[in-house]
Amino acid sequence: MKVRIKNWTGVATWKWVANDDNCGICRMPFDGCCPDCKLPGDDCPLVWGQCSHCFHMHCIVKWLQSQPVNQQCPMCRQGWKFNNK
Amino acid sequence: MNDYQIAWNLMKKVFPILDDSFTFGQATDDGSLLKNEFYQCVESSKTLNSGRIVQDLLVSKIEQRLRNEMVPEFWSYFKRSENDNKGFKQFYNAVKSLYDCFKQLDHVITKLDMFKQATQLGDLIYNENNTHDALKLILKATLLSQLNLEYQVVVMNFYETALKMEDTEEDDGQCIICLQESKHCNCLHLFQETNRKLGDMSLLEPLVGQTLTNLIYTYIHAHIQKICKDSFDSSFIVILEKWLQTVVINWLRKIYCYDTSSSNNEVVVGMFDKKLTNYLYNCYTKIRIDQLFNIIIEYPESLPALEDLRLCLPRTELKPLLTKKLQKAMETRLLHPGVSTPDVLTAYVAAIRSLRILDPTGLLLETVTQPVHQYLRSREDTVRCVVSSLTEEGPNDLAEELIRGEIVQVDENTPVDEDGENWETWVPDPIDTSPSKSSAYRRTSDIISMLVNVYGSKELFVNEYRTLLADRLLTQYSCDTEKEIRYLELLKLRFGDSQLHYCEVMLKDIADSKRINQHIKQDPEYSESDIPMSAMIVSAQFWPPFKEEKLELHARLVTQMEGYTSAFETLKGSRTLCWKNHLGVVDLEIELADRTLNLSVSPVQATIMMHFQDKNVWELQELSKLMQCPPTVLRRKIGFWQSHGILVETKPDVFCIQEDLENKDNNIQEDIFVEDYESESAMASAQDQREEELQTFWSYIVGMLMNLDTLPLERIHQMLKMFAFQGPTIECNLQELKVFLDRKVREHQLIYSNGYYKLPK
Repeated sequence: MKVRIKNWTGVATWKWVANDDNCGICRMPFDGCCPDCKLPGDDCPLVWGQCSHCFHMHCIVKWLQSQPVNQQCPMCRQGWKFNNK
Repeated sequence: MNDYQIAWNLMKKVFPILDDSFTFGQATDDGSLLKNEFYQCVESSKTLNSGRIVQDLLVSKIEQRLRNEMVPEFWSYFKRSENDNKGFKQFYNAVKSLYDCFKQLDHVITKLDMFKQATQLGDLIYNENNTHDALKLILKATLLSQLNLEYQVVVMNFYETALKMEDTEEDDGQCIICLQESKHCNCLHLFQETNRKLGDMSLLEPLVGQTLTNLIYTYIHAHIQKICKDSFDSSFIVILEKWLQTVVINWLRKIYCYDTSSSNNEVVVGMFDKKLTNYLYNCYTKIRIDQLFNIIIEYPESLPALEDLRLCLPRTELKPLLTKKLQKAMETRLLHPGVSTPDVLTAYVAAIRSLRILDPTGLLLETVTQPVHQYLRSREDTVRCVVSSLTEEGPNDLAEELIRGEIVQVDENTPVDEDGENWETWVPDPIDTSPSKSSAYRRTSDIISMLVNVYGSKELFVNEYRTLLADRLLTQYSCDTEKEIRYLELLKLRFGDSQLHYCEVMLKDIADSKRINQHIKQDPEYSESDIPMSAMIVSAQFWPPFKEEKLELHARLVTQMEGYTSAFETLKGSRTLCWKNHLGVVDLEIELADRTLNLSVSPVQATIMMHFQDKNVWELQELSKLMQCPPTVLRRKIGFWQSHGILVETKPDVFCIQEDLENKDNNIQEDIFVEDYESESAMASAQDQREEELQTFWSYIVGMLMNLDTLPLERIHQMLKMFAFQGPTIECNLQELKVFLDRKVREHQLIYSNGYYKLPK
């Protein structure tokens, strides 16, 4: 007997590779989206800081804008720097 | 001989009826001969002043004659006979004989009249101004006092035959009474003669009227039943009215208008006309009401019947009957377990549509469909059926309603903008309306609103739609989502954007997957060895929970998947894939010694085949261990291949490939249960989901009991309500909570005593 697979359609869920499930700012799941967004994934990406904490991009940007001086990570209070890995 | 004697003899000569031995028929009255005697008689009674006595004596004699001879003779004709045609003759003869007697009595009365004039006697007989009317009165009274038991049957017979004669549709040239050819038959003549005689005696109405009315009622009823039976697709009112006029009223005219000079008879016919038209409407409406359930089911073909009914209802006062009957019919024909939910829904939708025609105010609809509402609420699959009929082409055609678009009004208290209504066309609500509900709410003609209202919650409806959509997307595995997007847009119009946001993301996932698949295939790093792969990449947060099943795929595929995953990871930074091994669809080509099969199967089934490709014989246990799939489940899946004749169970729990079909024809096990994998939902069932939801409360309950030691059911429910029930779907009633807690008691995680729950020590 010979079995030839012409096409295999699988089902997968995508998820962010992060050290937490929920965004520390909006408390929404990373795999979902921030409260201002409608569509997850490409439209509502995550960003990592050098302190290794990560957030929805929209959330942390909003946070940083509300902090005119001393832009810190809301989790560990270190100065916030984007980690462009 | 004294004066009295002479006067008496004279009297007997003038009025032979005074002599008891006298019989009618033999004495041929000769007016001229008796003229002398008559005047002598008048003179003598004047002198004796006996006019009054003579009159009383005469009346009493007439009454006696009638009572003892004529009426019994008349009634003696009335004997039950089996033969209809004989009945016709019977009645004719009876009337004829009575009429002859009447004529003779009438002759006596005429003479009495003359006598009264001559003697200037003013006394009235029975207060009747006219002595002839007095005779008729006496005749009528005497007849009715001796009423024969069979008389109605005979009269009915007589007129029925005559009516049949009038309304013969198939005229075969033969009279149905005398069985002679029509041109020689004088039955019609006899009939008219009888009516004329009865009319002359003023006996038509008292003797025949009631029977005639009954006969015509029966006749009309039978006629309507005949022409309206099971045909709802044309209107009958006009036809029936015409028929009534041309056949029935015309015939009545023949009976009553024997005398064209009298206008009184037209009045009688006119009254009959009114009475019969009313009866016709009543009868027709009743028949239609009895058929109403079928009429509703056949909507819109039955539209003419409904229109008829709408016209009839205001004229007949039968609305309460209609409501009652329809409710009963719904109950006996619709609301029992033997009817499937889609059928109930179809009937319900048809009822909404057709009752709107009958009663635009919607009151009727509300009363009649109330039980249906309640019943649908008790069925578990209602929402699913509604949703699927909304988005699929089916007999319900709800998709059409969806396109009509209107915002669903779930709450009846929503203020409705009434300014737009034209006050000139405003109609007050019917008197039996309950004032608590606004009429505008009832008047909304939107079927979907009504269906959603069955459950009273948009969320439930939308949730069900989401599950259904997920199922459909995952079982079809086609990226053709155009139709789904269209439905989604339509649903959004009704339910609002926010409610259907999840579904939007789901559809976007499908479109994105298509793009990603293309990208990855072009990726030079990714090599498509011998297994072409594609994937549906979904956003788990937005899809309903998947059914979890464990499955270890074939090693070849695992490497392939790893390749795909890493390609995805490079494409979308910082993201990875979690495969749902048991979901998906596989297109296979299986080459055997004598045949080639092309199939679309589930991943489990494909994996089984891949293993059998490596090794021809497998033990169930071994394979189950390898695939990490319980033996019972695996056996069921193998059953699929057995039914295709590819695998056979050679020994218990040992399966092997069957390369040649022809040699082993008898080995095919036809009766193996084939799993219909299409029907299986990829989503977790509603019950499983619910279980999970309840499980989230468990930690709350444990916390509660730790702090407060023991609690009754109601307190637990109350506290949960205060702290844990958030969001519309996560709610549970007392009953459900009790079931949940009782299960925990059975699992020894709780102790129940004296109505209190507590944690085991």
